[in-house]
Amino acid sequence: MSRFFYPKLAATNLKKNAQTYLPYILTCIGTVMMYYIMVFLSENEGLGKMAGGSQVQMILNLGCYVIAIFSAIFLFYTHSFLIKRRKKEFGLFNILGMEKKHIARVLAFETLYVAGISLGVGLLGGILLSKLIFMVLLKILNFEVPLGFDVSGPALAAVLFLFAGIFLLTLLNTLRQIHLAKPVELLMGGQTGEKEPKTKWPLVVIGTLSLGGGYYISLTTQSPLDALTQFFFAVLLVMVGTYCLFTAGSIAVLKLLRRNKGYYYQTRHFTTVAGMMYRMKQNAVGLANICIMATAVLVMVSTTVSLYIGLEDVLRTRYPQNIMISTPMPAQQSVEGLQTSVKEVLAKHRLEEKDRLDYRYAALVGNQEGDTVITDMSNISNASSSVREFYLIPLEDYNRLAKRTASLGDDEILIYSSGSKYEEDTLTVLNRTFTVKERLDSFFENSPNRVSISGSYYVVVKDMDVVKAMEEARAKENRDDPSGYRYYLGFDLEADEADISAVYQDIRTALRSDYPSSWIESPVEAKESFFAIYGGLFFLGIFLGALFIMATVLIIYYKQVSEGYDDKARFEIMQKVGMSREEVRGSIRSQVLTVFFLPLVTAGIHIAFAFPIITKLLAVLNLTNVGLFAWCTAGTILVFALFYAVVYGLTAKVYYRIVSWGTSG
Amino acid sequence: MTILEVNNLKKVYTTRFGGSPVQALANVSFSVEEGEYAAIMGESGSGKTTLLNILASLDKPTSGEVLLKGKGLSTIKEKEISAFRRENLGFVFQDFNLLDTFSLQDNIFLPLVLSGKSYEEMSRRLEPIARKLGIGDILAKYPYEVSGGQKQRCAVARALITKPQLILADEPTGSLDSQAAEGLLRLFKEINQEGQTLLMVTHSVKAASHAQRVLFIKDGEVFHQLYKAGMSDEAMYQKISDTLTTMATGGGRHE
Ligand SMILES: Nc1ncnc2c1ncn2[C@@H]1O[C@H](COP(=O)(O)OP(=O)(O)OP(=O)(O)O)[C@@H](O)[C@H]1O
Ligand SMILES: [Mg+2]
Repeated sequence: MSRFFYPKLAATNLKKNAQTYLPYILTCIGTVMMYYIMVFLSENEGLGKMAGGSQVQMILNLGCYVIAIFSAIFLFYTHSFLIKRRKKEFGLFNILGMEKKHIARVLAFETLYVAGISLGVGLLGGILLSKLIFMVLLKILNFEVPLGFDVSGPALAAVLFLFAGIFLLTLLNTLRQIHLAKPVELLMGGQTGEKEPKTKWPLVVIGTLSLGGGYYISLTTQSPLDALTQFFFAVLLVMVGTYCLFTAGSIAVLKLLRRNKGYYYQTRHFTTVAGMMYRMKQNAVGLANICIMATAVLVMVSTTVSLYIGLEDVLRTRYPQNIMISTPMPAQQSVEGLQTSVKEVLAKHRLEEKDRLDYRYAALVGNQEGDTVITDMSNISNASSSVREFYLIPLEDYNRLAKRTASLGDDEILIYSSGSKYEEDTLTVLNRTFTVKERLDSFFENSPNRVSISGSYYVVVKDMDVVKAMEEARAKENRDDPSGYRYYLGFDLEADEADISAVYQDIRTALRSDYPSSWIESPVEAKESFFAIYGGLFFLGIFLGALFIMATVLIIYYKQVSEGYDDKARFEIMQKVGMSREEVRGSIRSQVLTVFFLPLVTAGIHIAFAFPIITKLLAVLNLTNVGLFAWCTAGTILVFALFYAVVYGLTAKVYYRIVSWGTSG
Repeated sequence: MTILEVNNLKKVYTTRFGGSPVQALANVSFSVEEGEYAAIMGESGSGKTTLLNILASLDKPTSGEVLLKGKGLSTIKEKEISAFRRENLGFVFQDFNLLDTFSLQDNIFLPLVLSGKSYEEMSRRLEPIARKLGIGDILAKYPYEVSGGQKQRCAVARALITKPQLILADEPTGSLDSQAAEGLLRLFKEINQEGQTLLMVTHSVKAASHAQRVLFIKDGEVFHQLYKAGMSDEAMYQKISDTLTTMATGGGRHE
């Protein structure tokens, strides 16, 4: 045999199988490109030096891992599908006298070609695109775009290392399969046994319970803190449920339908039920994959988009007022001194304060159990969902701000809840029981609410004596110094960001010397880092969304191709037995549509059930605008569904072309 | 009474990429009487499958006509053709054509389900057929679980269950071993004796010798016909062999 025999044969093989190999190679190229770009960005020195850049790179780094793991699993899985379809070909080679080691050599050359093309084109594309994507990222992050163009050595190395590994693994796996198989089995290839699927009731039960459990968690989780810990558990349950129900549940349902003779033996249902059973057996795992990836894309994109769009909202939630100052106040004059300092700064900038909110307060943290608050934090974990903050405020300040003349007895309070409602009629804290005289439903919206995720209460008490007494009791219980009560001053400014920033800096400087233990906050100061984090997440969401979509498209395409070949024969038999072309078409179309849109619909249901828990998670990230999130989710679903339908249309064409080849009439 | 009449059938295949057209049938005429058992023989590529496909209305002739009980197939509307085929014709193919997604019973029921029959009626019809074909025990199995002979008997059951006017069989013994083939032929004979009209394409002289009449096709035309008319299977076998030899050596056309 000539020296060039194997390389040539390998090339011919790839050409002959172009229908399945081309999409595979394109996907390899795509993943190479995406991985290169992600590593490039996360390693980029320029980005790291920008303010907030290191936070962004941390997020991108996470993206690198996700892409690497995903690529490995996905390409491995796809390749084994390709090989399954080609087993017959190998069997033929084998019978025509090629030994397995010769086949292995051909396969090695094939892998070499695929790897060469994928890495060559992928890296080239990645290098060219990286600059563009870099600029897009900087635009998203509101960063300055630097000039210049560079190729990242570490990124190149990372790509080569990862993908060489992946290709080598796929090759070894293929060789293992070929090595283990007998020629007859190879010849039988894809169609070993159209065994009727068995109903696996345990899986159905497990699936139903997991899915129900996941949904239940999402629907019942109340506190954002719980959401944080429960979310991943719920995701896991839903994933398990999806796999079980797609594989076993679908078969069980179809079998039940089939057992109902009156239903099953109807012209419309007969071929559909049997056809669906077969399809679900073949595709259940693929469909479950599509469903989970679709859900992931939808969740990622909708959350990151709404966080990014809602950035102003987020800032407003986190920083309800433009300037927010809090200082410990042992003495009355210090309050006046602070007010004077602020006034001077404002005068210097010729600005007026707006919506001023100022009051004295003491803060208490405790675990709420019914109407009792346990402030002894030594044996309570901080992450507990019933941790609440209580701000005690004297009636005098409240009446002044609310322009009211309310009166309170010694043990009477007014209460305002942010987050979870306070339902009790009394409040017992530090051995003192108060009666709720009135529930306030407005007024403290703009107060700083630093642990908004756990919920907090503003408690108006009779006077400063009560506030002081409570603060002392707290300090005594926790054996630390009374940090005393504090004074809060917050206001808005009608000015642009630069001016607010200048005021913020000036007040900060003024306070630093005279009020060392005070703090001052402003959204303008935090904006950059918020942009960096939320912009980074947004970018990652879109980027990974694109990757998952690419994978979904490929799975769908392969599903259509492999089903097309299987259905072709069935299609012809049905016509011979007396189904009209239209009937066959109708039946097949409805099956294909069902199989195709099942994952999408299921993903939609998952999203609907996930909505409550995701809104709570977003609250942790300070996005409380549920409406915005709902719109983003709806928009994402719509765009995705449209895209999905287009992919369906295109791949269905391939399918129908395969199916209707050679049919007469 | 004539059940099937074929007049001057011609079929020319025009290939997709402008290659030269292939004439599969040149001028075929014959008729089949009710209750007859006829066989069609001919070399590979002589147009037998083409003829059967046209009779089955799976394909359309270039010219000529096919009358089933006096009704021209070409006059049936496209939409009704499937129902017509389902109700009047039964098929048995060389490769069985059973659907792997259905159990054998459901495969047999398929044409009836398409006609909208109830489950009770289908079971009632299947019962005697299954008994006769000896497939009662395997009805719940799937095609991949049974032997070729069993598959073919199920395919025959599927053809019979609609009580068709005419059963068309294209090399039904082609994929069977001699024992299974023998069984199938015996079955065909029995069915025929109960009044079923049968038209069978075959390469096997043995199979053809069971038929009451054998049509020989050559170069797209009916080349010769042999009537059994009381001859024994062995004598018929001999005559068919002789005819085939004559045909192969390029003997002249004789009627
Ligand atoms: N779809 C088609 N397109 C073009 N030519 C065809 C087509 N089907 C059959 N032919 C040609 O028509 C001729 C008759 O074919 P047909 O299948 O009817 O032969 P046959 O007698 O059934 O042969 P065999 O005994 O091998 O089954 C052959 O020359 C064949 O090549
Ligand atoms: Mg043929």
